Amino acid sequence: MKVESRTVLGAFSFLVILAVVYWVLVALHGSSTERSGIAMLVFSFSAYALLGTYLLAQYLRRHGIPRAEDRFDATQEDGAGVIDYFPATSIWPVAMGLGMVFGACALVWGLWYLAIGVVLFFGAVFGWVTESDYTEDVLPGSDPDELGSSHGDYASTGAHQDH
Amino acid sequence: MTILEERPQLPFEAHEPSLMEIVPGPRPRGIVKFVTSTDHKQIGLNYLFTALTGFLLAGLMALVMRTQLIVPNNHFVTENVYNEMFTIHGTIMLFVFAGPFAFAGFGNYMIPLMIGAPDMAFPRFNNLSYWLYLGGFSLLLAGFLTNNGAAQFGWFGYAPLTEAIHSPGPGADLWIVGIGLTGLSGIFTAVNIITTVFTLRAPGMVMFRMPIFVWNILVTMFLILLAFPVLTAAMALLWIDRHLGGGFYDASKGGQPILWQNLFWFFGHPEVYIIAVPYFGVATEIISTMSRKPVFGYKGMIAATLSIGALSMGVWAHHMYTTGAVLLPFFAAMSLLIAVPTGIKFFNWIGTMWRGTIVLNTAMLFCLGFLAIFLFGGITGVILAQPVLDFQVHNTYFVVAHFHYVLIGAVMAGFGGLYYWLPKMTGRKLSEKWGKLGFALLFIGFNLTFFPQHDLGLRGMPRRIETYNAGMGWNFLNELSSIGAYITALGVLVNVWNIFTSWRNGEIAGDNPWDGQTLEWACSSPPPDHNFEALPPIRSERPVWDANHPDMLTKVGH
Repeated sequence: MKVESRTVLGAFSFLVILAVVYWVLVALHGSSTERSGIAMLVFSFSAYALLGTYLLAQYLRRHGIPRAEDRFDATQEDGAGVIDYFPATSIWPVAMGLGMVFGACALVWGLWYLAIGVVLFFGAVFGWVTESDYTEDVLPGSDPDELGSSHGDYASTGAHQDH
Repeated sequence: MTILEERPQLPFEAHEPSLMEIVPGPRPRGIVKFVTSTDHKQIGLNYLFTALTGFLLAGLMALVMRTQLIVPNNHFVTENVYNEMFTIHGTIMLFVFAGPFAFAGFGNYMIPLMIGAPDMAFPRFNNLSYWLYLGGFSLLLAGFLTNNGAAQFGWFGYAPLTEAIHSPGPGADLWIVGIGLTGLSGIFTAVNIITTVFTLRAPGMVMFRMPIFVWNILVTMFLILLAFPVLTAAMALLWIDRHLGGGFYDASKGGQPILWQNLFWFFGHPEVYIIAVPYFGVATEIISTMSRKPVFGYKGMIAATLSIGALSMGVWAHHMYTTGAVLLPFFAAMSLLIAVPTGIKFFNWIGTMWRGTIVLNTAMLFCLGFLAIFLFGGITGVILAQPVLDFQVHNTYFVVAHFHYVLIGAVMAGFGGLYYWLPKMTGRKLSEKWGKLGFALLFIGFNLTFFPQHDLGLRGMPRRIETYNAGMGWNFLNELSSIGAYITALGVLVNVWNIFTSWRNGEIAGDNPWDGQTLEWACSSPPPDHNFEALPPIRSERPVWDANHPDMLTKVGH
């Protein structure tokens, strides 16, 4: 997480400098009506500050113990166990997408499209959140043979750890 | 070097099913698979072929334009149709084809493979992104079916021409929501890919061992996170202007038309890099593999990509020099600075090829074509970055020629990417014979189309005029340019034909047809669900090469 947070925070620092330089130069030479550029730069570095701080926090809470993907000498066994839950095929994304497209049509042709859009969208939200049977109990190192379901897969590496 | 000797020999045998176990659910096929699949490979293919469809449609529109311009005082199409053609041509090429083809198509397919992940971090979210993209594309096209036709104000839709009084009818609204939806899809893809790269890498795949392609897409995604929300906001303001009388861009209501330009180009210039940077990555992978060498200056390449990304946030107003409302020295300096990291990249590409064993197949030829064309576009870019020169040629065909050299240059690398990666996606190689013919036609046709346009611009031909008088001295150059466009179209058709015939009948590729270096060549072609049955040890930025050539291990510098 160190490289990740440094990358984002580095971009954040650059944007801060850019915003300050631009602000000063506009104040000195530019037209007094050009405020949108500064506003957009401020929002840009704020967005990166949010993300960079989150990544930094993720790095710090590990107290210097790197993840397997951050270690130069890690082997596949170090990442053994369940990687994550990966939902299998699902009809809900296309339903939600259609709902959003109908919502967009409402902006063009009138509000009645919105009714279809809202029904599709919230129906899809409901289907989406109730479909997954992800269990919090699955921790890295679990035996993947006991997992798996009709709605998704637990992909894992190194099923047999040397303990 | 001692490093080489200290490295232990790491045995790796592919297709040994003991390292990764997958418990698959039921897998549908056919149209149900196309609609419901959350597999990043299926979604990547959906993106690639939807984007190619957009490319063919927008290319057809370009042919209509070139046919209209082939002789002076031509009446092949009406003014309105011509305006629709260049507007939707530009919009589709930028929002539907060039960007998503690379970052969503190749990105989706290749990133999990290249970092050793089973899938993207949010598979269903990924599927949703595709439907928003397809929805946006369809709404853009739907404009042609409305009474007043599609939008007619050019792909950057300057205010006040976009206001309801100047552009009435649903065509312009469809343009707004179509771009809004593809933009939303881009933001979702960015969130997905950033999370995937940060959290789903294989053990040992540290950030500085990721392929350059992954780094470039990552930088692109960070640009999207800043650029696309601004675009969406600009579109929302425009919609409020048109329907609720907002007056944000309407001077008569106290608004500022120039605000649109600032908002649009704050998105629009990063967008150029959102399009180009992924293709830099594709070219890097191909050049490195086909030269059979590691990337020269790996970290320098990453630093150059990061600098391009950072600098591109401060150059938006170089599209607005002639408005007289921007800080010329600031934007000129920033724009010229971008040439430096791009130059570093060229240096590194040449360094990668230097003393390599170059395999001159179609993929590599496309990359060499990319180097030549993109370099030329970059040089005219340096010309345009200087206000004194830009004032002379602003809004002429010189600018048209410049950005087509930049964008088609990048897309050349994308075609190379198809020749390079389709064997992984389909299991079959594309025909080299047809491929080389397609490349030759594209390269010659493209240059014949756009090189004369530089001169046309210098002779004062403005962009977007639908016809011209015979006495302007533009006749011959326009004729050349149109003939070039037909040759380019032929080249595209040859390549499309090649893709479709090779899909079923091509030579069987095998898992690693190019003796590749990065992780995607460690799984079968096409890869199974959740990608890897076994991963080679990752000890450098080219683990598959190290596993296959234990006598020629990559030197590691850490």
